[in-house]
Amino acid sequence: MVKFTKEMKEALRVPGKGGSLIYLCTSSRDGNPNIAAMRFVATHKDDKILIADMFLLKTKANIKENPDVAVTICHPLDEGRWWVFKGKAVDMEYGFPRDFDWYGANATDILNEWGNWNKFEPPDEVPPDIVFPKAVQRGVVVVHVEEAYSIEPGHVGEKVLTG
Amino acid sequence: MTVNLTDRMKAWIEAMGCHLCVATPEGVPFVVLGRYAEVTGNGEVAFALAQDEAKVIAPVLSENPRVAFGVSRQGGIRAAYQFKGTGELLRSGQAFDAVSGRAREEKGIDTAAVLLVRLTELYCTKPGYEAGQRLDGMPPEELDAWERQRWKDVPRKRD
Repeated sequence: MVKFTKEMKEALRVPGKGGSLIYLCTSSRDGNPNIAAMRFVATHKDDKILIADMFLLKTKANIKENPDVAVTICHPLDEGRWWVFKGKAVDMEYGFPRDFDWYGANATDILNEWGNWNKFEPPDEVPPDIVFPKAVQRGVVVVHVEEAYSIEPGHVGEKVLTG
Repeated sequence: MTVNLTDRMKAWIEAMGCHLCVATPEGVPFVVLGRYAEVTGNGEVAFALAQDEAKVIAPVLSENPRVAFGVSRQGGIRAAYQFKGTGELLRSGQAFDAVSGRAREEKGIDTAAVLLVRLTELYCTKPGYEAGQRLDGMPPEELDAWERQRWKDVPRKRD
């Protein structure tokens, strides 16, 4: 089991709280990659990354057929946030069995705390020409992180977390 | 079909670099940075990769050439696009020499391989109703007008 560092936890928060814009990378079961930027991000316990399910299309379809994902920092990179987190993801949508468990993350706990994300962490820092008119959340993507490697120039591929 | 890029898209790609995503044939994704990016033709983007960067994606690309990328840094939100295509790693030749020379000059990158991506798909990733909209079917003038209605900012190139 991995354990996020303090710096990782600080980075894996919404940008308005000093966190990051992230890229969520998924793939179809036959290897068609997909990369999409996400703003609503948080950590849960020491080894889970949470991402709001808002406007997910291909990402959602990919996760439903293939749980293997990678999460990386898109911006800011210059603060030493050179990480790629790899793991298994599920999209905990409303209507999931309340006792559904994903590597120790309970659906009731996750949806109760993070199911109305836009309300308690609104995208105030997002420029007006980018911000969405109405946030509609359908669930929370829970990534169980199993390892992480570096993308820092000169150290790319080096393990920074191992299970 | 050629994927047309607007001048603004080209500027964002070249100014910020890109996050490059590949996947094994079984669907395990890997990511590296394309710190030096150069639009080498319409629908073709080259990335200069150092040895350690190439090492992560070379084994994957040898089995599955599909590549998806998004613009790094502020580009993740200011240039809300996803670019997809097929990738080829060049280790020598005229294109390698040209791109690696400029990458060394501009970014100090000791290039081990140039990833040449021939684009086949282009998507809008702006949050909201346009997320996931496919744009590569638009003629160049229409795509340019579509973008100008939304954004006009063009970044300065990074050191």
